[in-house]
Amino acid sequence: MKKQYRYLAMIFIALAVMLAAVFAQTQTYTPGEFQSTNPNYPKPDPFYFEGRIDWNLLGISQPQNAWDYMERGIHYQDDMDDIPDAINDYQTSLSMNSLQKGTCQIVTAAMVNTDGGTLPAQLTPPPCMFTVRLRLGYLLEQTNSSSAIELFQEVLQIDPQRLGVNTLIAETYVIEAQQSTDPTTQQQDYANAITAYQAELALSPVTPQSIALTDDMANNSKVHWELAQVYETTGQDSLAVSELQSYLQATQWHSDDYPWRIALAKSQIQTLQAQIAMN
Amino acid sequence: MRVRYVNAFVSLFLLCIFEPGCGTQVQGTPSPPEVQFHPQQFQRPENCLPCHQRQYNELHSAVKSGYRNVSPLFNGLEAAGNFASGGLLRPVYHDSTIVLPDGTILNTNMYSSPILTETRQVQAGFCFSCHNADAEILGENPALREVPQLAGLGTCNPAPPAGQQCFQPQLFRPLRDYVNVDSNGNQVLPATPGGNPPTGAQPSLAAAGITCDYCHDENGPDLKRSFQMDGFGNVSLLFNQSDVKVGPFAFPVAVKNGFHVASNNQNLIAFLTAGAFCNTCHDVRVPNRNLTAEEHNINQGGQNVSYFRLENLSTEWQIGPYNSTSNPFGAVVRCQDCHMSLFPYAGSKTYQVGDMTVTSPIPGVFATDYAAVPGVATDDNAPLQMRKVVEHYFTGVDVPLMSPAELSTRLGPNYPDPYATGSDTHGVPNGLGTRRQDLLKAAVRVSLSKTDTSAQLGQKLTVRLEAVSLTGHRFPSGFSQERTAYVQMSVTDNNGFLLYQSGYVVDKPHPNTGETAPDGNLDDEDLEHLHAIVDPGMHTTTYTSGTGTNGGNNLLFEVGPDDGPDARVYVGASEGLVLFRNELTHIFLPGQAIGRTDPSTGAPVTAQGVHFEETFQAALANAVDNFRSLQPLQPRTYDYEIQLPTQQQMQSIGVTIQGPLHVHAQVNFEHFPPVFLRFIASATSASGPSGNNLNLMNEQRIDQYLKNVESIASDDATVTLTP
Repeated sequence: MKKQYRYLAMIFIALAVMLAAVFAQTQTYTPGEFQSTNPNYPKPDPFYFEGRIDWNLLGISQPQNAWDYMERGIHYQDDMDDIPDAINDYQTSLSMNSLQKGTCQIVTAAMVNTDGGTLPAQLTPPPCMFTVRLRLGYLLEQTNSSSAIELFQEVLQIDPQRLGVNTLIAETYVIEAQQSTDPTTQQQDYANAITAYQAELALSPVTPQSIALTDDMANNSKVHWELAQVYETTGQDSLAVSELQSYLQATQWHSDDYPWRIALAKSQIQTLQAQIAMN
Repeated sequence: MRVRYVNAFVSLFLLCIFEPGCGTQVQGTPSPPEVQFHPQQFQRPENCLPCHQRQYNELHSAVKSGYRNVSPLFNGLEAAGNFASGGLLRPVYHDSTIVLPDGTILNTNMYSSPILTETRQVQAGFCFSCHNADAEILGENPALREVPQLAGLGTCNPAPPAGQQCFQPQLFRPLRDYVNVDSNGNQVLPATPGGNPPTGAQPSLAAAGITCDYCHDENGPDLKRSFQMDGFGNVSLLFNQSDVKVGPFAFPVAVKNGFHVASNNQNLIAFLTAGAFCNTCHDVRVPNRNLTAEEHNINQGGQNVSYFRLENLSTEWQIGPYNSTSNPFGAVVRCQDCHMSLFPYAGSKTYQVGDMTVTSPIPGVFATDYAAVPGVATDDNAPLQMRKVVEHYFTGVDVPLMSPAELSTRLGPNYPDPYATGSDTHGVPNGLGTRRQDLLKAAVRVSLSKTDTSAQLGQKLTVRLEAVSLTGHRFPSGFSQERTAYVQMSVTDNNGFLLYQSGYVVDKPHPNTGETAPDGNLDDEDLEHLHAIVDPGMHTTTYTSGTGTNGGNNLLFEVGPDDGPDARVYVGASEGLVLFRNELTHIFLPGQAIGRTDPSTGAPVTAQGVHFEETFQAALANAVDNFRSLQPLQPRTYDYEIQLPTQQQMQSIGVTIQGPLHVHAQVNFEHFPPVFLRFIASATSASGPSGNNLNLMNEQRIDQYLKNVESIASDDATVTLTP
């Protein structure tokens, strides 16, 4: 081999060795150094991390998947108060985690071993996320109530027993009713709201066991309060009184964020009972 | 010659192709150095007392030394974990004959396993290994063993081989039953499980927990037992049982009578004085699969050991601003700089964090004193130098849930009163309760400056609370899924009429633990975002695994009126409680019983989908959210959208609202949530899985010793009321 070719070959080989070293460094790990992967970026197994992780800890420069977009949306919403960009990111996230497009699935009993020990590490398509649906639905309650309700219904498909989702559905129907000028629509919306509120109450029933454990004769004061307002609005005064009484029972040991409602509920009961008596 | 060079390059290149680690700085983990000093068994701290009186006194009052080992809560938590697992959290030793399902023998525990390749190895001594590694190491010698291996670890389903016992919860003793010795040093046990120590009993080595030797016998990190090969967590620490002690100074004056020698190993000295030393224990990784974040042991053969992060404190510090110079103090602030210094009693500094101006104590200021007692510690009364010395109080957020008399009964006479008054010679308060409170007051700051300045009845008022953590880790940290910090917030009118409240508690009965009527105490009340009661389980004559008999699931799980955590995290709503507590989650799979009973059929309620629910039994957690706590030096704003009442509504209840409105916010710290303590109380009572009252936690203890620290930070704002 001519001298200059030998030098070229050596340079080529040396470069190859250096490149191999560089690539190897990205894939292997030096013991004793802090862990090589970002401990704050969760790898689904098989479910996504639901909730919020501080954006600065995730190390995402450009979102790559449904979860990344959801987290950036949360960052826009919670940290930047940038609702339009949050909605955009939530919608992008949902387009990648969509029941309609088949890019996510509702996990059912048939797919998993119920002892929890043999759950596969990956599901194809991946499980549907509930956080992004709840967050987008909440932001759409006032402007696109039907979409909001659809999203909340999807959350109930993911987890029919998740607390608070039926309340969100009910609240959205009430908003829809208040925005509508059509009495028939209003009537239907209020009826749907009542159904949803009742579904929420059914998830945490008052039972002999719960009374024995807590002395609570009612729970979920917020739902009882809201339900009473719907009944009162729709002229169902007896039912309104009943819900207000449940509200008072539910606040007996728990008060309320709005404690003046307790006095107001008592006042409303008196007023409503007087009206009922007059009729 | 050149051909040889080319051949060498080619060979190296080919080797690199087949060797994945090529080109990196992969190093083998260091082998323990040969011990060239006299062997010296782990000792009680009293042996160090004559020469290191100050350090002994300080360590004596630290919860990690002494108290933790007799703590009714630590013992109860460990017991509840054992009931859930059939005793698997108790250590096994080299003479164990337990056969694992794959036919291998389980005879190493979390500390003695060279590499943790089986979940059962991590479980074996899971709590004991960190809190009492030295006693566990000594326990390899049956004559020195304090905490025995339990018979029949696991379950009775299926029945064990002939001649072997099932796990018998009725024989289960709390760890603290084992840490008593008589005057001859022989172990003595209470007459019944959980009973009082026998008359005349003295504390054993294991009663001392984290001793002087625990730290000063260190021999570097044990990388192979840390799941990420980084020396983090689960006591990934090597010990050197000899008379060489690692201190912070090289070449100190020789010790009297050669009781010990001081290590001159600069690496070990640097390790002891670095945050890395604390990292070996202050991440706690539980060997349960995390269904939302896959992590497993990356050591060779460890891939089957999955885990979730319970305590994540060290990781938080490692990646945080205080492990860099990008913090207000312009220097790395180590664990020792806050927990072993004069902090928070050494002056303060005012600085800017985001748009918040805050004042906080200065870390890393140390007293000048003797490191040993002059005239006692050295041969021939060789003079000692005054040096910068560290405090050994290790103050954190914990305080004993026991009386001084109980502490003295179990840990020896004159145990320090956690609520003692006065200060030591360095000006540090003597009482742990005071030190804890002062430390907490350095932890966080809040501001209401972005709150609406005016409001109108019948409209919404937005209160904006900005909060920032000033701690080296997140706040709260440690067992952050139960340690509770929250915002108590109120809006009142100028007459004090309460228009809105969040982060409040209500005095109420707790029939499940015997409090049949409100007792006038608010420290024992849970926050109102959630109403939960945990199933304590029940005793069965034959142990049966699972939550059906061993409890842990929520018997009751209801949304409360102040539901901020779920509303804020999952829905993005600006309402309700601001809770900085992290959350352990139990993800129930379709068909799994969630712990409640259908009132109409009496049948167990099962998950109809994939059901996420907060759990207060760490042994059942299969996901964790460690991001609800406050990140250090990263201010976050929490909005409260408050619906003000209408004039008409106020008139109907005879109230006239008078402006201006007053907004008050304060951060409170709660030792542990009462729901969690009541679960431990029930699970270790006579009606729990053991069938014995283990005398650990009960309603009276909760009432007497659960003392929360209120208003560690606060702010006020005034809102003009417009017509």
